Amino acid sequence: MTKPLLQIDDVHVHYGRLAAVRGVSMRVDPGEIVCVVGPNGAGKSTTLLATVGVLSATRGAISIGGFPIAGMAPEKVAQLGISMVPEGRHIFGTLTVEENLRIGTYQRPDQRNVERELKRILDEFPVLAERRGTNAGLLSGGEQQQLAIGRALLTGAKILLVDEPSLGLAPMMIERVYDILTGLRDSRGITLLIVEESAERALDVADRIYVMRRGLVELAGTSSELEDGARLQQAYFGFEGEAEGIR
Amino acid sequence: MIAALQILVDAISLGSLYALATLGVGLVFGVLRLTNFAYGDFITVASYALIVPTAGATEIVIGRWPWPFLVTAAVGVVVIVSMTSEYLVFRPLRTAKPAVLMIGSFALGYIIQNIIILVYDGRPKAVGLWPDLGEAIVLSGLRVPKLELLTIVVTLVLVGALVLFLKVSPFGVQMRAASEDFRMARMLGVRANTVIGTALAISGFLAAVVSLLFLAQVGVMSFNMGVPLMLFAFVATVIGGMGSLTGALIGGYILGFASILLQALLPEDLRTFRDAFVFAVVIVILVVRPQGLLMPRAARERV
Repeated sequence: MTKPLLQIDDVHVHYGRLAAVRGVSMRVDPGEIVCVVGPNGAGKSTTLLATVGVLSATRGAISIGGFPIAGMAPEKVAQLGISMVPEGRHIFGTLTVEENLRIGTYQRPDQRNVERELKRILDEFPVLAERRGTNAGLLSGGEQQQLAIGRALLTGAKILLVDEPSLGLAPMMIERVYDILTGLRDSRGITLLIVEESAERALDVADRIYVMRRGLVELAGTSSELEDGARLQQAYFGFEGEAEGIR
Repeated sequence: MIAALQILVDAISLGSLYALATLGVGLVFGVLRLTNFAYGDFITVASYALIVPTAGATEIVIGRWPWPFLVTAAVGVVVIVSMTSEYLVFRPLRTAKPAVLMIGSFALGYIIQNIIILVYDGRPKAVGLWPDLGEAIVLSGLRVPKLELLTIVVTLVLVGALVLFLKVSPFGVQMRAASEDFRMARMLGVRANTVIGTALAISGFLAAVVSLLFLAQVGVMSFNMGVPLMLFAFVATVIGGMGSLTGALIGGYILGFASILLQALLPEDLRTFRDAFVFAVVIVILVVRPQGLLMPRAARERV
């Protein structure tokens, strides 16, 4: 059995007295693409935010490559090769595209690699190279998503946590973004943990899937195990019937 | 014509002083979302750093040093006070609501004022700083006091340096990112403590410069001398749009111009109430544009 790159163990997160995540455990092995699916409010984003240290877990352990990180400040976690592409992208709109890309590089210990990696990103994302000097706020949603991915890679991350990358994008752009994401594993060996509301898309790209609902992992399995869909649907929508999930 | 030019120079000079003070407030608000009411007391501290506390007559020590040493010492003292405040007051309150932070800064301001009263006693003190600057340069009827010229030049240099710092240095870029989206910046490795510490250090630097220019102008220091300057700075930030540094500059100059114009145009017996009229102008501006003249993109997106 390989050593997990990211391990989340019985994590609880509270917003005030409200428990948003109630004992979630997950593992991501090196080179894997793992998707977390589930309806709105299942605690998917909360789990990611707790992992990178923005929210603090009230209980449980989180480790990267065996190194415990629960309770660590986000800027410290960022040094450990894990980076977030958050929901809504959170591009710095008043900074230029290049400044956005460089933001995560200043604290890197391996400064000599930065220029080469920046060049590689600009080669692979020609849109960003073209608009290098423009304010990032002027980019389209799809371009901003690419910028957010490039920015996360330039922190030197080995594993990306990607939260709802398809949100607010046109269908064609969604496909492009997923091509980029899955391409990262093949070209750079990047490991991915992706939160996705659509179970169908998750089955498409992931090696393994966690289904979350109401702050718990309801179901976990490889994509092929879950492919027939009945179990996955039940876990996603719950036993109370399907009306709740259809909205 | 000469009279109009005279008013213009006076207005630019006063506007520059307000603009410097406003930048100090705006920078800290940008990264910490803190309305720092102790800022006026940072201004006061710089002036008091020039004298030693004695029971008898005011004794000027640092205030007699050659100007490079004098400025360095005053700036140093305020930067230390400012960064210590960050460490002791603002850091423990960082995750609290902005209102709590603001009240914390009020408390800090009162503590600083009371320490000054305790150490130096509460009476105003006459300190002539750089009396030569009172002389005027006369240019075909236009009379420009050297101090006004100095204020304008210092503002130009400092604003230029600040813009350069924010645009070019890695540190400045991280600071701009943090003002726009602090949480995201941290997720990318930007160190929260360093960015906030630097913002407070720069803010303290600007407070010291404002203090010295103001003291050279009025020649008297008192334990609450910085408070009106801070009030003007806050009003200017609000007019300019909270969180936008360009807005802060513009707000500062608008206040300076409004003050000088009203001073020149109001009937004699109403001039004492000049500031009331200035604030009336402010209210009109805010009725028309409640969000301030320039609203930073960051604040817009957050809504």
